[in-house]
Amino acid sequence: MTRTQSSGSQSHKLLLNVLGLGCLVASMAGCRGYQYGHLVGGDKPDMVGSHSAGGEVYKPLVEEAVARLLGTCAVTPAAAEFGPDGLPFSRRVCFVGVENKSSEELGDFKDQIYQLIDTQINRSQAFEAISRRLVDAALLETRLRPDSLLIPDNMQLFTSVLQRDGQPVDYLLYATLTSGTTERNSSSQRDYLLTLEIVDTRTGHYTKEQAELSKGYHRSPLGKLANYSIFPSAGR
Amino acid sequence: MQVMTKPDSDATRFHPTFVLVFASALSSVCVVALIGCSTHASRLVGPRQAFYANDLSQAHAQLDKLAENPKGDETVVQLDLAMVELLRGDAARAERRLLEVRDQWEHLEQKSLAEAAASLVTDDRRRAYSGEDYEKVLVRVFLTLASLMQDGVDAESYTLQTLDKHQQIVARAQEKWGDSVTEGYCSPAIAPYLRGIVREATLHDYDDALAAYRMADTLQPGSAVITADIERVTTGTHSSPGHGVVYVIGLVGRGPYKTETEALATQEALLIADQILSAVGEYSVPPTLAPVKVPQVSSPPMPFEQLGVEVDGRAIATTMPITDLHELALRSYEANMTEVIARSVARRIVKKGAVYTAKDKLQADSSIASLAFDAAGVLWEASESADTRCWGVLPREIQCVRLEIPAGTHQIRLEPIASGSPLASGVLVDVDVVDGRNTYMLSYWPGIESIGDVLISH
Repeated sequence: MTRTQSSGSQSHKLLLNVLGLGCLVASMAGCRGYQYGHLVGGDKPDMVGSHSAGGEVYKPLVEEAVARLLGTCAVTPAAAEFGPDGLPFSRRVCFVGVENKSSEELGDFKDQIYQLIDTQINRSQAFEAISRRLVDAALLETRLRPDSLLIPDNMQLFTSVLQRDGQPVDYLLYATLTSGTTERNSSSQRDYLLTLEIVDTRTGHYTKEQAELSKGYHRSPLGKLANYSIFPSAGR
Repeated sequence: MQVMTKPDSDATRFHPTFVLVFASALSSVCVVALIGCSTHASRLVGPRQAFYANDLSQAHAQLDKLAENPKGDETVVQLDLAMVELLRGDAARAERRLLEVRDQWEHLEQKSLAEAAASLVTDDRRRAYSGEDYEKVLVRVFLTLASLMQDGVDAESYTLQTLDKHQQIVARAQEKWGDSVTEGYCSPAIAPYLRGIVREATLHDYDDALAAYRMADTLQPGSAVITADIERVTTGTHSSPGHGVVYVIGLVGRGPYKTETEALATQEALLIADQILSAVGEYSVPPTLAPVKVPQVSSPPMPFEQLGVEVDGRAIATTMPITDLHELALRSYEANMTEVIARSVARRIVKKGAVYTAKDKLQADSSIASLAFDAAGVLWEASESADTRCWGVLPREIQCVRLEIPAGTHQIRLEPIASGSPLASGVLVDVDVVDGRNTYMLSYWPGIESIGDVLISH
């Protein structure tokens, strides 16, 4: 150890510094903070994730994709089948599950996406979703993989089990999340695509609807400005 | 090594007797501190001996006593208590303790300048222990296991929290030490593996299970167990109709613990020490320094290789290592070592500086007074110990095997195996296997005999 200056005032200064440490110990006790929480009102925008998608992406994707699917599959009075009470029969949908093929892990969002889609489908008058617990029970009994249900024999077996349990199935519904990433220097844009595919169990005919949302990720706070406003079409 | 050379000629001259008394008092304080400071390792010797001797009641009683009078090691004592309770079959209580530690460590991760300053004039034990990086991940792994041993209702959440915590740790490590820190830093393969197990058990989230098993495979390459899991969730199903699955999870061997040793200050450590000291005074760090006290990680050798599993009298499988906790602790220790040494170096310089300043200020010219100050300085430095706090009752390895067997009650025997032969008769338990469901068996084998109960999920 070498001293930078060997004067008395230096040593005095050092003593004060060392003693100051003691004061610091006393004064700074309890400087660790606490964690706080607050409710985010329905009218407030969702927090935007800095590294991956969250509620700000998945919620609008689900809303849009389901709304499009319901619009496409809306029953016209001419095509509707009516029950004895004069009301049109709702079509029974078995929502098989959400498949994640995006580059991000869904974590705890996967089950939430399932519930959001399931609830919205169930709220519509055109469709009636079969309880997930019954779907799980049928999968358990048949030991079929969700992605193998489109094989005719498997579909037959699966729907017959549900039928036996008093749950006839008109449609199977699959949700698939995919992503595509565009890189540009230290920024990237990820396009999230939620596809809903509904398959008629009697004819095998399917209908597909999608919703897409893109999100930019930047290392710099100016990344958004640079990539989308100032130099939107500049290459690397 | 020159620190202070010339007394301040203008300074007030103190009476030699006062100086001598002051120095003697300082020495006494240091002696008392030296005697009064039992190390963490020595405090925990008794309960840990009782634990490994399979006297869980005694271990619990002793740990309870220590918990009443914690000396900066409360969370570590709580973790040992949680382990004892888990192996006594009280998974709910163990889970509660683990939760408390998880939350407390989260809180303690925030920096405290008070503790940093206090540790600069004492030692690292003055810092509240917020767990080594690998321990933070393992708390969540054991939370998952504790939950699975009950109804498993929170197991999925814990698996997610484990992976999330790991990501945070890697991000923070990369921020501190650069991109040399890989994604595998402090990541036990058991963490994604447990995620895979619980997702596969849903019978519809095979894609999640596949992603988790792939991650486990990256961390524990070449594991036959994981390879089979990947193959199954890619094309197969959880189990055949009429069959259930038993996961045998073995905690094998005694895990890592810390002891005190000495280390030379590296150039990198001296650089960091210089940064720490720049906040204290105008001192420069010497190019070399005598060795400083630091902790080192040790683990006893494995008592045997695998657990053999017999179902209804027929040997059908052996467990395979999923995570080596010794390696995990070692990597975590190595990554943090430079900082630990740097803090020790800074501490030594501050202590020496304080003694020289006091001598200077109090005009301790007489040889007796000077000697007394030097003695006080030596004792002050000697009162310093390496921080050996750690979760000391962890196993050396976590091993697993998956058994798909017909639903119903089966007698399952677990026995330690070395070089293909059983070393002891092991333990025999009845296990109810449910059609299409997972059953979990957890046992701890620090030696060739298991300790506590073999836990079976409800």
